[in-house]
Amino acid sequence: MTARVITESAPEPQIVLRRSRVSGDRTRVLGVIGAVIVLALGTVAVLAPVLAPYDPTERAGTPFSPPSAEHLLGTNDVGQDLLSEMIYGTRVSLTVGIVAAAAAMVLGTVVGLIGGYFPRLGAVAMRGVDVVLILPFLPLLIVLAAYLGRSIVNTVIIIAILIWAPTARVIRSQVLSLAKRDYIVAARSMGAGHGYVIRRHVLPKTLLLAIGEFVAATSGAILLESSLSFLGLGDPLQESWGSTLYWAQARGAFLTPAWKWWVLPPGLLIMLSALGFALLGYALEQRINPRLRRS
Amino acid sequence: MNARRLGLARLGQYAIVLVVAVTLNFALPRLMPGSPLALIAGVEAGEMTPEERAAVTADAGLDEPLVVQYLTYWKSILTLDFGYSFRQGTPIEELVLGRLPWTLLLTLTALAVSGTVGIALGAFSAWRRGSRWDVGSLSFMIALESTPQFWLGMLFIALFSVSLGWLPSFGATTAGADLSGLAWVADVAEHAALPVLTLSILSIPAVYMAMRYSTLSVLGEDYIRTAQAKGLRPRAVMMHHVVRTALLPVTTVLALRLGWAFGGTVVIETVFSYPGLGRLMYDAVSARDYPVMQGTFLVFTIAVLLANLLADSLYPRLDPRTRV
Repeated sequence: MTARVITESAPEPQIVLRRSRVSGDRTRVLGVIGAVIVLALGTVAVLAPVLAPYDPTERAGTPFSPPSAEHLLGTNDVGQDLLSEMIYGTRVSLTVGIVAAAAAMVLGTVVGLIGGYFPRLGAVAMRGVDVVLILPFLPLLIVLAAYLGRSIVNTVIIIAILIWAPTARVIRSQVLSLAKRDYIVAARSMGAGHGYVIRRHVLPKTLLLAIGEFVAATSGAILLESSLSFLGLGDPLQESWGSTLYWAQARGAFLTPAWKWWVLPPGLLIMLSALGFALLGYALEQRINPRLRRS
Repeated sequence: MNARRLGLARLGQYAIVLVVAVTLNFALPRLMPGSPLALIAGVEAGEMTPEERAAVTADAGLDEPLVVQYLTYWKSILTLDFGYSFRQGTPIEELVLGRLPWTLLLTLTALAVSGTVGIALGAFSAWRRGSRWDVGSLSFMIALESTPQFWLGMLFIALFSVSLGWLPSFGATTAGADLSGLAWVADVAEHAALPVLTLSILSIPAVYMAMRYSTLSVLGEDYIRTAQAKGLRPRAVMMHHVVRTALLPVTTVLALRLGWAFGGTVVIETVFSYPGLGRLMYDAVSARDYPVMQGTFLVFTIAVLLANLLADSLYPRLDPRTRV
């Protein structure tokens, strides 16, 4: 995620090579893999109460027990079933990721739209975007979280504040080029108002791009949530995969054989969900982003 | 816009970033609900008599108008007086300076490693674009970008420290051991190995992506076709014409990566209990030692700005086309 932000603030190389058909097909395969991962995790999140063998907050067995028939992934330091914790954690991680990315998409699209449609205002707005892009990401996240306090709503707000900037940039450059097109100039000259032109002509053409950005941003938001929870700054009442790892770290689980069922599964799930959204986003971007498509 | 005005605009932008960071530090504790005393003076206001509270408030300058407080805050920042730690009573500059060398050791080594590997893999991937190797390594890099840093560190500890027993899992030196000379260097290297490995692996994808795109764009240039047409071997074209040009934009990415790696040390150093700036920040957050947290945040901001400045000043030197 941080990487995505930083590569975008670097000068953008233009791709002039013709993309071969083979590589296009492979991109599509990656997109399908991503979609399957996202759908599977979404199903787990929705069906969590049905799928989870125990209530993740109840003490279901002896603390620190290894995997057994009753507890497929063993139990944690207070005897909660780790498998159930993983299943319910899907809800927290996906919700935070999706809601934060959606908020960032709305903010980024609005700033990008206005910034691209009114270039002078946009130049000022982009200075603001640059400031957000340059500030050290993780430390800023931590400072905000430390002052705002630990709750799931605050986590969403903090992540959204940090990840909207790249979206604003991408949307703005798209709108800048759209606003110069003949039919928009024609619409304006026939007396169409700014609001009408934006709604009727600009927004529909940028929405697809915004959706691609949203999917890619979700991947980053999931990773940020996990980092925040791992540092003990997540919601104490909503156990996510990151907070499972926080407790595993606090209890030194990775120094014992327990790492195989206590440390490995939550990390794999974080990775899988971030990867699912990243692949889906990458495939969408290849299809949607005009700069990459005509290559 | 000529280069000089561009440079000034950049500097102005960095100044704004610094102002935003300092203002955030100033405003956040004052905006929070409840008495700012706990956040700024580090005392529990509830347990004090009104007189004591007034004394502490005056002492911390909190009875002054906000503008005066803000200016006083700036004055202390500009004179490099970051205040004192709530918990240890030590001046923050001292804490930060003690931790800085360790963080620099981790980040600079990781930058060298990830830069070399990322550039080599990225160039090769672009050369064989569309091949199984290219798509495979591209997917692998996307997967790496999706890996939580702290988790990879925990796995490395489980594998290399606990199971295999090859490397130490915490600290920067062996506690209590009085080593000097080469033995000390070896000890430091042993302790830095796993954090550097984790940080390097996770920095590779950004460098790889940048190098791959950059190489691809150079490969489409006319002078490459000319080089091929005059009969140069593909290897020679690649080494002398493509990679050299493609490296230029990547240096910017590398410098920016340095700033990123600095921030990333918060989680990495926490996992490895490494006594750097990141761990200092984490401990400060856990102990609600707000001045230390703010101090480290400022240092991280300054580090990112320096990395950006480095990138800006390096680029024209490397690329003659941007010289005026």
